[in-house]
Amino acid sequence: MVEITDVVCSLCGCVCDDIVVEVEDNKVTKVKGACAVGKSKLMGHGRIESPAIRENGELRDCSYDEAIKEAAEILAAARRPLLYGWSSTVCEADKVGIELAEEIGAVIDNTASVCHGPSVLAIQDVGLPSCTLGEVKNRADLVIYWGANPAAAHANHMKRYSYISKGYWTEEGKKNKKLIVVDVRKTATAKMADVFLQIEQGKDYLVFSALRALLYGYEDVVPEVVGGIPKKDLLETVKMMKEAKFGIIFFGMGVTHTRGRHNNIVNAIQTTRAAHTHTKFNIMPMRGHYNVAGINQVCTWETGYPFAVDLSRGYAWYNPGEQSATDLLIRRECDAALFIASDPGAHFPGESIRHLAKIPVIQIDPFPNPTTEFANVVIPTAISGIEAEGNVYRMDNIPIRLRKLVDTEYMADEEILERILEEVRAIKEKEGE
Amino acid sequence: MQTIRLKLKEEITSGNAKIPIDVDSLTPDKLFGKNEAEIKAVKVWWGNREENTGDLFDVSVEGEAGSVEEVKIVMEGDLSRVKHIGDGMKAGEIEAIGDVDMHCGAMMTGGKITVRGNADCWAGREMRGGELIIEGDAGDNLCAMYRGEMTGMTGGKVTVGGNAGECAGQYMAGGEILIKGNTSILTGLNMKGGKITIEGDAVMPGADMTGGEITVKGKVLDMMPSFRFVGTTTIEGEEYKKYIGDLAMTEKRAKGVLYVR
Repeated sequence: MVEITDVVCSLCGCVCDDIVVEVEDNKVTKVKGACAVGKSKLMGHGRIESPAIRENGELRDCSYDEAIKEAAEILAAARRPLLYGWSSTVCEADKVGIELAEEIGAVIDNTASVCHGPSVLAIQDVGLPSCTLGEVKNRADLVIYWGANPAAAHANHMKRYSYISKGYWTEEGKKNKKLIVVDVRKTATAKMADVFLQIEQGKDYLVFSALRALLYGYEDVVPEVVGGIPKKDLLETVKMMKEAKFGIIFFGMGVTHTRGRHNNIVNAIQTTRAAHTHTKFNIMPMRGHYNVAGINQVCTWETGYPFAVDLSRGYAWYNPGEQSATDLLIRRECDAALFIASDPGAHFPGESIRHLAKIPVIQIDPFPNPTTEFANVVIPTAISGIEAEGNVYRMDNIPIRLRKLVDTEYMADEEILERILEEVRAIKEKEGE
Repeated sequence: MQTIRLKLKEEITSGNAKIPIDVDSLTPDKLFGKNEAEIKAVKVWWGNREENTGDLFDVSVEGEAGSVEEVKIVMEGDLSRVKHIGDGMKAGEIEAIGDVDMHCGAMMTGGKITVRGNADCWAGREMRGGELIIEGDAGDNLCAMYRGEMTGMTGGKVTVGGNAGECAGQYMAGGEILIKGNTSILTGLNMKGGKITIEGDAVMPGADMTGGEITVKGKVLDMMPSFRFVGTTTIEGEEYKKYIGDLAMTEKRAKGVLYVR
């Protein structure tokens, strides 16, 4: 038995890097320090066993070579291919993916598109006064979770980085901190809060604007109730914000995917800015997948844009709402799709799945999932952070290197993509002759 | 007067995938002076490949034009996947018969486009001049901007016969928009100049506006909580409440005017 310390968890955007793992006979046998979901991933579960190609409705096992060749042929022939996913793999694989997109004139999009894409759009409009999770741990005395429920979704977040954590200037932990939760229902996180603002569904935008008006001193114009929240509670919140030494707003899907979407986040960032006229305030999205921040980084440094990038005309055109995966599929624009490290079969709207059933689909993933059910080519991979190493970006955009814990026969994402790219180039060269 | 008819061939949009065609190369100013054979050879993007216009559209030319102002393009067939109609157009006329796809009239500086149907999102995006008439509904981001741009429409006139989607006139700095139906949320978001008139209802209009004027003749749903009421005024014989905003941008910058009945 070997004990490995400082293992990095490859599950959610927290990217906890203090996990202890025991390995015996090339298998993970014990996990300490991870949350329940992280532990489940590290311990391992059902895998796609072999590369496969669908024939007469059934998947037939084949070699890596055959599956890669078939995938390359589909992609090289496509007039409007979509390459989607990228958040649960490492930056090195993402980089090859963008090269592939450029080669075949594809639209490349990542899971931010159905997650924190609105946040990314807002950040482009008004910037992001943010910080690292380390700064939050060591300095924050007011933590606001808005439309986020870390007690269920990012189970180690409060303990490691925010409300419950103990840091250099916060050595007494939550005793000297305040917690405000804004949500449409009383979540597990809300139950811990000093102040819980129960907002009416879809009224976040109005409440942010009211807070801004109050922070700038225009109490006279704000009505008695905004978005279901009494003015006195808004005034109390503003008082707490002003009195804080270091405040942080963490926001989740509850704000990005309600009425107003990215404009809610613009308003949340503007609220942070308004708070700057009184004290130090910060804001950070609660990113979901462990490397969704990473694909946004890689995509930006390679194409200039973080997601939903159309390379069909030979230059990058970026327009979420037009080139985002679900919009393309609902509009039936794509004639082929490659999905890597994601599961649109489980997460996309029914209408887009119906279109996927009609076009060739390639899946690259360690695990079988609903997407496998309609994929035409299935290519299994090594699990990043367990069987393969590489760089990822935590939710605060800090790069962390995933470690390899056990050996595997499976090919890594990066290698599979490089092989597909090589095949595509060979096909194009042949066509050119 | 010259009429150029472009009818999209049926087989282009009848497959499993409806791959969009970008027709920003087919504006009156770009086709002026070309004969039928030359028009057929103009390249348009269909997905990731460039094709000849004549391979995707049935093309016919009637009459002659002495200047670009005398060129009229009539687009027919299933236009629901034809993007960028009249994008960047400088003069002349386009008539699109049926529903059109995104970016119709984007960046146009002159001439006139009439859409005899609905227009999808980003119609009139960053429009600088000319006239755009949409007889049906407009999608989201009417007369707004490309992602990341801080200025939307700066000039020209847009009329929508039906309703408009979210964020109509975002970052608008000049020109006029008339919407005869209702608008969805955040009309005139970040507006800094120009004029929007909504004959129907509007939801949260004027958020973050620092200039310009919005008039809502129907109801305002979810009025922004950061506007200051400054009195009443009469427009076309009707009494309107006048608000100044958006104070969420600070009083110094809140120079937008919102008229509500």
